[in-house]
Amino acid sequence: MIEDKAKRGIGSFTHLIWVLAYKTLKLKYKNSVLGFFWSMLNPLMYLLIFTFVFSKVFGDIDRYPLYALTGIVFWSFFSTSTIQITESLIDNSGVLKSINVPPIAFPLSAQLASIISLGFTLVPFTILMLLFGLEISWELIFFIPILLIFTGFTLGLSLILTSLNVYFRDMQLAWTSFLPAIFYSAPIAFTSELIPVEYLLLIKLNPLYYYINLLRDVVYHNRMPDGTNFLIGTLLAVVTFTIGFVIFKKLERGFVSQF
Amino acid sequence: MDSHIAIKAENLEVSFFIQRAGINNFKDFILTMGLKSPFEQKKVLKGFNLSIKKGECLGILGKNGCGKSTLLRTIAGIMKPQSGVLEVNGNVAPLMALGAGLEPELTGMENIKLVGVLMGMSRDDLKNSIDKIVDFSELSELEINMQVKRYSSGMMSKLAFSIAAATDPEILIIDEALAVGDLGFRRKCADRINEIKDAGSTILYVSHHIAEIKNICTRAIFLKDGQVFQEGSVDDICDLYENELVKKK
Repeated sequence: MIEDKAKRGIGSFTHLIWVLAYKTLKLKYKNSVLGFFWSMLNPLMYLLIFTFVFSKVFGDIDRYPLYALTGIVFWSFFSTSTIQITESLIDNSGVLKSINVPPIAFPLSAQLASIISLGFTLVPFTILMLLFGLEISWELIFFIPILLIFTGFTLGLSLILTSLNVYFRDMQLAWTSFLPAIFYSAPIAFTSELIPVEYLLLIKLNPLYYYINLLRDVVYHNRMPDGTNFLIGTLLAVVTFTIGFVIFKKLERGFVSQF
Repeated sequence: MDSHIAIKAENLEVSFFIQRAGINNFKDFILTMGLKSPFEQKKVLKGFNLSIKKGECLGILGKNGCGKSTLLRTIAGIMKPQSGVLEVNGNVAPLMALGAGLEPELTGMENIKLVGVLMGMSRDDLKNSIDKIVDFSELSELEINMQVKRYSSGMMSKLAFSIAAATDPEILIIDEALAVGDLGFRRKCADRINEIKDAGSTILYVSHHIAEIKNICTRAIFLKDGQVFQEGSVDDICDLYENELVKKK
């Protein structure tokens, strides 16, 4: 129907993603000297609150600060990624209206930026974790595949949110209000063993359950990630990403009319 | 396909999806239980036919809301047609809104790289043309390393035009982009457009300034209600445009 001779090659598309991610990070850290520390402050606040409030309640959890921190790291990656990706299309509506850029470049670059951001914060957090009793073991290498499937899930979900947000601008608000529900039903501050059996199913409906437990397997327990959880996590990631991608591609046509 | 044709549209239909009155957010959508489709289509281009030869410079005139920008966006690949045929031969450089993609917090130099990449320049293209862009923009060493938010609107448009004009596009689309900048720079822009034209590129030019159209274009069309109302020589169409506007008043 339409001959698009000005198509970008794969190489120039990835270059575009990097340039956009670089821009996002630069803007994030440019205006405040403390920019980098701000991005760490939020998880640290959580950690502080948890340790003070809960270490008495969940006193029998071994190395509680380390336990909580592993959950918090993944949680803040999840919440900042979804929020930033959801905003990414609207934020760039001016560009999408006047330059022929594939819209998916914006959510993808936002995801890349938040992975790099996670990488930055991981350095001081690892030091902190060592203080809390983290043991270095070869199983830590599994952090990479776990992060990979977790990203797949996060990105898939965010693709749905961001494309809906173009049509219904209150999607962003709805999502921010919904986030606490995910937070409190995920085993971030508590262990799932502390949950009465009849509620365990409810906890397991939260996708974060699988990813956080996988991360804990390697960081906290120094063991191989649980096979079943890994399988469920991978499946969830593949399915969510596929659905997200299809919805995005379907809704993409109408984006320009909404800006 | 005829190799002398740059752009050919046959029976082209382009619509907007707009929200049905009263359903503007997710809350309303939930409240209507999804019973009503929240969207309706508004046709902007209806059975649009047009053919533009290579090397032609076409002026596009019409009242606000007649579909000029939609036509340009469709040709640039920003909007997709519902039905019909659209053939575009060659790479398109759209100058739709001058300053699109500029990031106020970044410096002029950083913006050249950012917008250049957004417009589809490769790393090598960028490396080769960066000096040319800075040179053309008439911005000083100091200014180019200043945050764009400190620029005057004239400086901003100089920068934006320089980036867009740096690529040697086969098809250049200009949507009322030159109504800014000082007289000297506007003349320079006009010169650059003529240079692009002389190099054999096709130019689509939308403007409400009849003098500019007469100055640059070789042919013109008058759009009305999403269709080509009339096409012909620049003078005829400009007269028609003026008459139509007078008639309305």
